[in-house]
Amino acid sequence: MIKAGQIDKGTALLIKGQPFVCIEREFVNPGKGSAFVRLKLKSPSTGQVLSETMKSQDNAEDITVEDRDLQYLYNDGENFYFQNTETFDQIDVPMKSFPDYEYFMKEGETYRATFWEDQVLDITIPSKIVFTVAEAEEAVKGDTVQGATKYVTTETGLRVRVPIFIKQGEKIRVNTETKEYLERVNS
Amino acid sequence: MYNFEAARKRSELLMNIRKYFIGKDYLEVSTPTLSPYLIPEPTIKAFGTRFINEFAVSRDLYLIPSPEIFMKKLLAAGSGSIFQISQCFRNAEQLGDVHNPEFTMLEYYTVGADDEDSIGITIDMIEKTKLHGVSPSWLENKPLVITMHEAMMKYAGVDMDKAEDIGYLRSEAIRLGLNPGENEEWDDTFNRIFLTYTEPALPKDREVYLTQYPDKIKCLAKDDGTKPVKRRWEMYIGGIEIANCYDEETDKAKTEKYFREEEEKLIRERTGTEDIIVPADPSFPGLPIPDSSGVAIGLDRLLAVHLGLNSIEPLLLFSLSDMLLQ
Repeated sequence: MIKAGQIDKGTALLIKGQPFVCIEREFVNPGKGSAFVRLKLKSPSTGQVLSETMKSQDNAEDITVEDRDLQYLYNDGENFYFQNTETFDQIDVPMKSFPDYEYFMKEGETYRATFWEDQVLDITIPSKIVFTVAEAEEAVKGDTVQGATKYVTTETGLRVRVPIFIKQGEKIRVNTETKEYLERVNS
Repeated sequence: MYNFEAARKRSELLMNIRKYFIGKDYLEVSTPTLSPYLIPEPTIKAFGTRFINEFAVSRDLYLIPSPEIFMKKLLAAGSGSIFQISQCFRNAEQLGDVHNPEFTMLEYYTVGADDEDSIGITIDMIEKTKLHGVSPSWLENKPLVITMHEAMMKYAGVDMDKAEDIGYLRSEAIRLGLNPGENEEWDDTFNRIFLTYTEPALPKDREVYLTQYPDKIKCLAKDDGTKPVKRRWEMYIGGIEIANCYDEETDKAKTEKYFREEEEKLIRERTGTEDIIVPADPSFPGLPIPDSSGVAIGLDRLLAVHLGLNSIEPLLLFSLSDMLLQ
């Protein structure tokens, strides 16, 4: 058990027998009242998000989680398929639980996953990833207003705004949180 | 790196506010931020430090969570209406979004006014001190004044006429899917419902003055006299709590009782914990407070909503979370 006031982003909890991961936490002090926390909790199996308001002193059932490294294999539109790099077990994770993660999943790359028993609660995306430019638009002539940029699409389907000198087949480093171009990578 | 444009807007807002109150004959005062005692408030955690005096006894001192304690001493001494813009400090609050442990507060007391008068004053002040060239949409809409009774019925379906009875309030909390603890205090069950259903549902497109809080939530505002409510309000803009107001308690016996109970609660809750127990100011309950209404406004938050932001962080030249990250 932990106190609700100790729950942080990333804390895994069991609510009515189902695991949830805290994705947002805000402390609230109502005028002249005890401290409360407002939590947003996500179910990794359904992607459902619960809003809970708890008194900081309320008890919550936390669960022990474990990190394991998984190698990404592919997705079929419904599930991501990974291989445990130690046991070589194949693991499938519903894509709807991790919206937009497909843009950051590169075949053969290793990702750190948080497990509760045999269930994947969270997948950590590195803050920067190197992608290959799969498609590059032609730069629009005379479009210098934005400092001359254009869009490219990576091998994972992510659209990124880049400087016009970036060509198809080149590698670029991208900030995964903001989806912004950082630099060209010379290979 | 530093947001000088925001600094200019802050300077403009502070100047406008000073001009506004000085133009209405309020006296601007400057009171200490460091004090040997405070008003006992179990829900607020203070910062403590130590005054070292080589020639006498050293003393623990505390950073003020609001200038109320000193401003009321001035009111009691016949200052007339006063205002102050000061730095205030609250410990154990979350960093980021709408919180920083050190923040700027505007506090004004209007002698002879009550909580309802203060709504008019606050609406007028906000309108007249708005920033040049910035027109947030909430400022174009007519402010809403809504009682807690109306808001709890409208957004949570809870009848506050029956809610004096903790049994009813508990059963309503359970009906709404909440988990009130066994033997939970009335305030806590009320706040579970209020924070889950009512506060998040308040309109976000205008100033919202939420009035007439239940008198079971103890504070230094006058009792209504006819209904079981206190003469106090809180004001929200865009879902962010911006201001609060009391029709200030003037009854010395009630203030003394409040002080004693809050101090006992503070000592009971904090003994044996790491939280500091701040001494209560013994002279405070005996002050002859005149009929007056006091409003406190979080100025960082007011500036944020003027600029269409839902966080005060971009407005702080040195936010504590940035400093701690370095």
